[in-house]
Amino acid sequence: MSDISDPHVQQDKRDFLKFALVGGTFAWLAAVIYPVLSYLKPPKQAEVVVNSVKAGKIADFANDSGSIIKFGTKPVILIRNPKGEFKAFSAVCTHLECTVQYRKDFGMIWCACHNGKYDLNGRNVSGPPPRPLDEFRVTVQGEEVSISKLS
Amino acid sequence: MRKKYFLFGCVAASILFFSVNLVADDQCVSCHTNVVGDKPSELFKHDIHFKKGISCADCHGGNSKMEEMEAAMNPKEGYKGVPKGDAISQSCARCHSDADKMKKYGSTLPTNQWNNLQTSAHGKLSTTGKEHIAQCITCHNAHGIVSVKSPESPVYPLNVVKTCTKCHSSATFMRTYNPSLPIDQGEKYRSSVHGVKNGKGDPKPAVCSSCHGSHDIRTSKDAKSSVYAVNLPGTCSKCHSDAQYMKEYKIPTNQYEKYAKSVHGVALLQKHDVGAPSCNSCHGNHGATPPGVESVSKVCGTCHALNADLFSASPHKKAFDDRKLPECETCHSNHEIVAATDKLIGVTTEAVCSRCHQENQNPKGYAVAKAMRQMVDSLDISGSAAITLVNEAEQKGMEVTDAKFKLRDAKQAHLQMRTMVHAFNEGKFREVVDKGMEATLFAKTEAKDAVDEYYFRRIGLGISTLIMSLLAIVLFVYIRRIEKKQAEER
Amino acid sequence: MKPTLKKLYAWVDERLELQDLIKFMAKKYVPVHSHSIWYYFGGVSLFLFIIQVVTGILLLMYYKGSEELAFESIQFIMSKVAFGWLIRSLHSWTANLFILTTMIHMFSVFFEKAYRKPRELTWLTGMLMLFLLLGFGFTGYLLPWNELAFFATKVGTEITGVVPIVGKPILQFMRGGDDVTGATLSRLFGFHVAVLPGIFTVLLGAHLLFVNRQGMSEPLHYAETPEKERKTMPFFPNFLLRDMLFWLIVLNVLAILAVFFPWELGTKADPFASAPAGIKPEWYFLFMFQTLKYIPAQIGFIDGEVLGVLVFGAAGFLWMMVPFWDRQSSRGERNRFINYIGLFVVMYIILFTIIGWLA
Repeated sequence: MSDISDPHVQQDKRDFLKFALVGGTFAWLAAVIYPVLSYLKPPKQAEVVVNSVKAGKIADFANDSGSIIKFGTKPVILIRNPKGEFKAFSAVCTHLECTVQYRKDFGMIWCACHNGKYDLNGRNVSGPPPRPLDEFRVTVQGEEVSISKLS
Repeated sequence: MRKKYFLFGCVAASILFFSVNLVADDQCVSCHTNVVGDKPSELFKHDIHFKKGISCADCHGGNSKMEEMEAAMNPKEGYKGVPKGDAISQSCARCHSDADKMKKYGSTLPTNQWNNLQTSAHGKLSTTGKEHIAQCITCHNAHGIVSVKSPESPVYPLNVVKTCTKCHSSATFMRTYNPSLPIDQGEKYRSSVHGVKNGKGDPKPAVCSSCHGSHDIRTSKDAKSSVYAVNLPGTCSKCHSDAQYMKEYKIPTNQYEKYAKSVHGVALLQKHDVGAPSCNSCHGNHGATPPGVESVSKVCGTCHALNADLFSASPHKKAFDDRKLPECETCHSNHEIVAATDKLIGVTTEAVCSRCHQENQNPKGYAVAKAMRQMVDSLDISGSAAITLVNEAEQKGMEVTDAKFKLRDAKQAHLQMRTMVHAFNEGKFREVVDKGMEATLFAKTEAKDAVDEYYFRRIGLGISTLIMSLLAIVLFVYIRRIEKKQAEER
Repeated sequence: MKPTLKKLYAWVDERLELQDLIKFMAKKYVPVHSHSIWYYFGGVSLFLFIIQVVTGILLLMYYKGSEELAFESIQFIMSKVAFGWLIRSLHSWTANLFILTTMIHMFSVFFEKAYRKPRELTWLTGMLMLFLLLGFGFTGYLLPWNELAFFATKVGTEITGVVPIVGKPILQFMRGGDDVTGATLSRLFGFHVAVLPGIFTVLLGAHLLFVNRQGMSEPLHYAETPEKERKTMPFFPNFLLRDMLFWLIVLNVLAILAVFFPWELGTKADPFASAPAGIKPEWYFLFMFQTLKYIPAQIGFIDGEVLGVLVFGAAGFLWMMVPFWDRQSSRGERNRFINYIGLFVVMYIILFTIIGWLA
């Protein structure tokens, strides 16, 4: 049995082993702290948002226009009709999954791929689309327009 | 009053008079023809049933052997009078649905007509709520029924159309059942190839029942109907694929065979996509005729609208018209339209452009076709490279939803390109292809970054493992040294 | 040591009397014998607990405990946050390793009979912590809200529902309703990050305090060994440094696991989808799950599943109470019977886990 009252047994300042131990510990600390700090650094996209997306300010959307908004991994089309009311639908054409767009000249949602047309309620009215577009909910809070899933 | 007594006297007298020699005969007929002289009994004498020895009483009840009218037409003898509503068909079915009874009369007719009628639209629906729409006698008549093979029968091919249109061309009648059902089928039929030939006395071309069935007619929306979209090509082919039957009309009989192989046929017959066109979508149904060279593009254009629009505005429109070439058919064929592939465009042997645009005769068109094919190929190559990269990144467990989102655009550009080709304009085509190229480029960079990240993780792990292993070794040596020292001190 | 560092140490020492602490620790001795290796598993478990706390807190920065966002937020952590994949994989892998090391720790204590007088309370707190750990595993498993977790939780909570009288209320309490829904997620999330860690920390504090007061347990045969032959080593620095060496290796193993076998996320749970085939709980519940499968539906007048759950409950309780009924060991006598029970339990757990794994 031994009794060590002095923890720093080795007094040699040039002791390589101690140097390696301290150096190694610091390197190890760096290897642990670097990922943690990187993790805490705010990512490009500040937070996960999929059930609701901020589309922008009311003023960003002209009457009688449509814009494509990225909603998670799928596009959503936000329509503002000539009266100024908002509607949003999945922008994925129900025919072959092209992205639809708003056509001012028809006053309809139109798919460029095969001339599929939907009315402003998302109903497929002409062309190959087999069923209507899925609707999304639009909420206007003050000046802010946001889109969320209908549930 | 006096008149009545007189009439009664006459009847009584004649009964007395005839009863002597006709006592064993059918008293109904004899009395009704000779004494009353009504039309039904007159017609019944020509009826196939009368000829087979079936009596009025078999349908109307009562006792045909009795001379006395009061006795013969007594409800106690089972006399029913004139059957009403469904009771009419039920009395026909008493024999016609009984194979044994029919055999006794030497009949080879099927015995499922009543069953079929009950499952049909005519047998299920009702306009009055009391009885169903059609009874046997609606088409076959009540008295004076002749064999369906006889030209006098109302259901003989040359008479069928008249029989059906009795109701189906009457707006007042059809309204009571379904106001939205058209009533011009008869008229249209007369304008069709089938109708014209039928009108000239040819019993072979299709009549109403050839397509719709006879007793088991169902609505066209009923999946069991012979004219339900999926079943229709088979119904048409019953005649049109029968070379023997069609011999005298000198038209091909392989349309069904070709259609079944076509993209439309596969969609309809195999995938049961009822939106896919069947025979009548191009040829019309009641007014069936071939669309003809001039209008074929209009027919295709009803569904392929954008392609038709682009084509009409393209330089090809005039060129095709001048040469009297059918617009869609020239490149895509008619009954055997296969799914269009990217290979249709270009100047290779399987491409269609070079059929007209040969290098020496039409160098400009040839060059454009070649350039367009190159664009198609480069988009294809870039697209599949992007997909491979994205898949690789995904297999390595990396997150690539953004790249996948962009790949949608590439796929869309590909689809749009295939539509845009019908404008036959290199500039417009390039615009669409460029959009796709941009999307694939983005996806490729994203996927590549993800793959790089994958290797970065491994290198990072390598470095930290190295650090930790070294530290562990140093620590181990350090412990050994401390313990050695402790042992020395002891 | 450099003079400045020395000065700093002296400054702190003056105020906190570090020297005393070191002296105290250096006076602690750890017995050295052929079974000494088992002493390290308690320390490793402690280290893994620290990792869980750190990675858990880090995950909390981005995780969102709601039905709509839970799955997406984990996806977000793993793809958008720098090193998020590492933190999440570490947390999942550590959880499993943690349960494994505590089980080894528990069985080694059991076979060494280290629970005997005066360490009954240490054993009791340890067993309670093990149960809490299973609770951690169960509640944490649902948090990513993926298909597998969803159905495993459904099955897991259903089993508690079969317990007579109290089963149904417990089931509703755990699910936050009659079915596994977003309410269940919020509830289990609360348990996982607040309730369980709170209780666990108190128990861990007590456990460590007891160990410190009583020192390491000496094996039974030490009583017969003459004092001179009993080898020991000082807790500080010898044992602590060895502990750290072990920890370093464990950390490296974890890093390798996290990089080469990243914990999968699967597909988002859809409450209306039909359950995928072969739903299994986590491996540490497998032996119970598998046993319940083998019990016939009806045994006498009692429902088979109920019987199974009750038997497991009773067995767990008896196991926890072992210091109080194993009087022989407390008197310092050999008790082979305990070894046989322990061996049977270990074999049973291993066998049924393997069967459940292969099934």
